[in-house]
Amino acid sequence: MHTGRCELKAASKIIKVDYLSRVEGEGGLVIEIKDGKIARLHVNIFEAPRFFESFLRGRPYSDVMDFTARICGICPVAYQMSSVHAIEKIFGIEVEKPIHELRRLLYCGEWIESHALHIYLLNGPDFFGIESAWASREYLPIAKKGLTFKRLGNKILDILGGRSVHPVSIRIGGFYKTPGKKVLAALLPELKRAYEESLKEIKWAAGLNFNDNSWNTEYVSLTHQDEYPMNHGSVASNKGLNMSMEKFIESVQEYQVEYSTALHSGIKRDSSVSPYIVGPVSRLNLNHDRLPSEIKNVIRESGISLPITNTQMGIIARSVELAYAFYEAIRIINGYDEPDKPFVDFEKGAGEAVWITEAPRGILIHRYELDDAGHVKSCTIIPPTSQNFGHMEADIYRFLQNNADKSEDFIKKESEKIIRSYDPCISCSVHVMKIEK
Amino acid sequence: MKRPRIGVFKFTSCDGCQLTILNMEDEILDILELFDIAYFREATDKPLRGQFDMSIVEGSISTNWQKEDIVDVRERSRHLITIGACATSGGLQALRNWASLSSYKKYVYPSPDMITALSTSTPISDHVYVDYELWGCPINKDALSETLLSFLIGKKPGIPRYSLCMECKRHGIPCILVSNEEPCLGPITKAGCGALCTSFGRPCYGCFGPKDDANIESLMRYFQNLGLTQKGCISLLDKMNSYAYRKVRIEGSK
Repeated sequence: MHTGRCELKAASKIIKVDYLSRVEGEGGLVIEIKDGKIARLHVNIFEAPRFFESFLRGRPYSDVMDFTARICGICPVAYQMSSVHAIEKIFGIEVEKPIHELRRLLYCGEWIESHALHIYLLNGPDFFGIESAWASREYLPIAKKGLTFKRLGNKILDILGGRSVHPVSIRIGGFYKTPGKKVLAALLPELKRAYEESLKEIKWAAGLNFNDNSWNTEYVSLTHQDEYPMNHGSVASNKGLNMSMEKFIESVQEYQVEYSTALHSGIKRDSSVSPYIVGPVSRLNLNHDRLPSEIKNVIRESGISLPITNTQMGIIARSVELAYAFYEAIRIINGYDEPDKPFVDFEKGAGEAVWITEAPRGILIHRYELDDAGHVKSCTIIPPTSQNFGHMEADIYRFLQNNADKSEDFIKKESEKIIRSYDPCISCSVHVMKIEK
Repeated sequence: MKRPRIGVFKFTSCDGCQLTILNMEDEILDILELFDIAYFREATDKPLRGQFDMSIVEGSISTNWQKEDIVDVRERSRHLITIGACATSGGLQALRNWASLSSYKKYVYPSPDMITALSTSTPISDHVYVDYELWGCPINKDALSETLLSFLIGKKPGIPRYSLCMECKRHGIPCILVSNEEPCLGPITKAGCGALCTSFGRPCYGCFGPKDDANIESLMRYFQNLGLTQKGCISLLDKMNSYAYRKVRIEGSK
């Protein structure tokens, strides 16, 4: 089985993390340092491939949301959202406002569940030097707080989707069934308490200890003129990128780097290709002016300076978004009136469309081509973690440039922390990555 | 009393069933008092060592190295239970069992030769002895806590083996198959989800796999009378539990 071990050689050292922990899915890390220089560095993925894009071919459009959800047990809603919007675009469906809002509420549930899991159970222990969220008595109250948030996220998913892992309610045109106003309103007292609590948590996250790791890299996320992005918008970056979803998928290119054997994705510009980062830090950097003033104030009071230029501060951005997801859930429920019909009627047809939504870990790109019968002719799925791998390695590379002489144990621990700060979901990413074992 | 040592292992899967353990927000701290979670990569850094009183296995076997690893897990475990459709039935990725792997690889990866995968995805029980199976895509968390507690007191978990139809009747949900004439897999599918899809007004799509002695052929004939093609019928079975439905269907027709 895969357990951690180090190999020592005279002039060179190979540092291996055979099986990363507290991440979703199976991956490792190999670093080789020769005469104080980084000879090899790569995030090694051994999660087995599942060939989703292959077996989706020939399936009816109505199967797609149930199938793609199964790519990831942590963010199934993200897969359903990118799929459903892409297919609705092909069919020319415009959903009504209550449906748009309910889908956003469903996404809030997933952001809460996924962010709380990562902040408190997966990433949090790193800042306390412990192996898990239940490894120390002092951490237990923090873990409990996380579980309370997480439970509430799952509750939203349960009500809207039937269950939190692989919800069953999403269909083309809307939902199979929409909840009554009272059912949702019953969540309000709990949500308001959680929102108040989560505001304090932004300060807690901002007060954690971070390595100095400021750099001018490219942060990519959706942006939308009216809202903090989830299901709609165009793709933008801090380096002037601003394009439609269709254009963006064309400008993403896979490339190779000398220190790694894994294919990376980057943005094509003239003759060069450069890595970029997606996820909460990117979203916050590009969209913080769309946050409610109450959250903006807490950000200011907590001493968080925006944009965040330290990629390892994902936990801060995640805490801000956790509070925002509670805020947004409350807003949506307050303004909700059950629609007369849970879905709009439509006619299926052939066509092709790209859609991108903001999964908890960053932009999730889907492209589908359907035939006249509404069956999948071809599709492309690019998960956020696949987009982040190249950047993750570049991040570790930067760290090693100043720390190559440090002990194996230190390098190993710190590199693992860097990887974890991206909240990688390797189960998702695997079907577009090369596999090595 | 010494707490039983538990290991949580992952093979080819989406992580959703292991997540069910962390989704037991109300029970997880109690579970940690009753059990020693000695290996669980998704949640702790603890390295793999020693023997386990019970191993909880997620995911299907779809690579050569997994074939070796599952034997190692079995050798370390006094009891082994599988959780979810991947581990009990090969999962959605078992759809490759009825296709050609080389065409699959070519379609997803730019350099298909780099990909080492078996041409099949199979349940854990095809490789080692399994003491107990928890079905579902994903599993139900109440069923998981029932299984853990039953293990502790040495009884058989009280998990239904009957069809989803029983659950529907108990919830007073009008029959989607009979009243709406929509192809519902309820009659041949294990109960356990709490009649989720039908309570949302959609037909069951088989997350919990075939119930004991399911008469699949008969339901398929019924679907054909509703106007479904042969191919359409197979495509209903060919989802997360395709391996199990196909197997029961073949065995039933003998």
